[in-house]
Amino acid sequence: MTTVELTRPAERSRFARIGRVLLTPRAARITAPLLFLLVWQLVAPLIPSRILPMPSEVAEAMWEQLRDGTMVDAFSISILRLAAGFAIALVVGSVIGLAMGLSSRVEAFFHDFVIVGLTFPYLIWGLLVAMWFGFEGNGPLIVVVIAGLPYVILNMSEGVRDVSKDLRDMATSYEVPNGRVLQHLILPSLSPFFFASLRYGLANGWKGLVLAEVFAATSGAGYVINEMQEYGFFAGVIGFALWFALFSILVERLIFGRLSRRVFRWRSTTASAEKVRRVEPFEAMVD
Amino acid sequence: MATRTVPPQEAPAPGIETPTERPKPRLWAWRLAGYVLFIGAWVLLATYAFEVYILPSPTRVLAEMREILGKGDFWENFLATLQHLFIGFTIAYVVGTAIGIAMGRSSYWDGFFHDYVMLALTTPGLVFALICVMIFGLSTWAPIVAIVLTTFPHVTVNVVEGVRSIPRDLLDMASAYGVDRRTQLRHVILPAIAPFLFTAVRYGFAIAWKITALTELFGGSEGVGIQIRVKFELFNMAGVLAWAFFLVAFALIMERVVLQRLERRFFRWRPKAFA
Repeated sequence: MTTVELTRPAERSRFARIGRVLLTPRAARITAPLLFLLVWQLVAPLIPSRILPMPSEVAEAMWEQLRDGTMVDAFSISILRLAAGFAIALVVGSVIGLAMGLSSRVEAFFHDFVIVGLTFPYLIWGLLVAMWFGFEGNGPLIVVVIAGLPYVILNMSEGVRDVSKDLRDMATSYEVPNGRVLQHLILPSLSPFFFASLRYGLANGWKGLVLAEVFAATSGAGYVINEMQEYGFFAGVIGFALWFALFSILVERLIFGRLSRRVFRWRSTTASAEKVRRVEPFEAMVD
Repeated sequence: MATRTVPPQEAPAPGIETPTERPKPRLWAWRLAGYVLFIGAWVLLATYAFEVYILPSPTRVLAEMREILGKGDFWENFLATLQHLFIGFTIAYVVGTAIGIAMGRSSYWDGFFHDYVMLALTTPGLVFALICVMIFGLSTWAPIVAIVLTTFPHVTVNVVEGVRSIPRDLLDMASAYGVDRRTQLRHVILPAIAPFLFTAVRYGFAIAWKITALTELFGGSEGVGIQIRVKFELFNMAGVLAWAFFLVAFALIMERVVLQRLERRFFRWRPKAFA
């Protein structure tokens, strides 16, 4: 009797502790993908004619794609195209964006076409470059430029307008040399906008790129996943989609997480978050 | 908001322009110049530099648009696309809002859905379109599910922000004075999250119409996407552009005219500073 009385609360508290750990947000991040796998495992056999492959088959396909180099080749070609295209978009977009921020005339000149660039579906650009440059040309790279440009332009012009006029006036009246104004005033206040243009420009450039690769290339991640779909290799398609997902996580966690901490280390965190949110490109599109 | 402290306005000396009253009409000239340059370049390149199948002139595209409008299958295809868009968007909005409320209110659900939302935001639409076409084949479910998967995270992100912006102190005061739940919902919670719900519609819509055409193109039986594919395979550049312009025109009208006007009407009562 007494032993029971003694052990029970202890046991209950152990269960309670496990329960409490399972209910933390950190545990939820692990529960979520596990639950997804479980549902997938249970649902896949129910779907007629085995259209949805089992997780194990997909894992096998992914391992195969990794081993024979399909994945690495496809992604490295795509990343090279993305980098080259976005570098062009960054240079051209910065020039136009800065000009638009400084002069309302230049702004009036370009504004509507930037909006059209933002709205026009990448699908159509992909088809157009396929007709223009064929399968072997630089079509996908050009779609990256087109997809990235509006985000760079809008954020840069917004950034220039955001430089505090008071501080600029003060710098002028105290005769601060231009180089120091650039280094201590303009560049620091531009940096969140530059960062936003990097983030949204690259994300959208990537989306445009893989789409263009379907129609206008014979290599790259978009081309490979479409090929597998056309051959009806379903486990391969899902596997490759998971490589896409892993790639996103990698970029998001490693590059952008770290970069934003570096760029904004001088700011209080709330200020930086608020600023970047304010210039979210779709908001620019909306007004 | 950057704090730009405006000094008390002195009467501007005559002849000196203050930046706020820059003459507007002259900007119109610059805007017009932009149109002339871009469209002029298009016309010139189309007439003198390239063949029709590479770059059709604007007039050719317009003629093609008129021809498509004249044929009976225009409305059939356009309405099919609208139907996919409407069903998919409605589901995405409901699902996205529900997840957004859960994430905004509880840190557990925030942790649970965080990675799903992030992945759905960053994965290219192509990937979702291919998987949906693979699983659902030519049925109308392919575009609908693809819309839901790509659109819900954009709704969720906005709703989460709305839920987090509900003023806590007003809620506390309401419960201290014994205001019942329904009145709280009507007068505190809804007014706080309404603008975010609206933004969620606009963000979601901007994504949804693009993915509709995309999925239809990879495997549908009717819709704008299919028509674009047909024109592409016939190497009819003017046809591709014509259908694209129909789609873009529809999206711009929805966004600029319908949604924006509705929003302005809806939030008329708000003071400007909060708009």
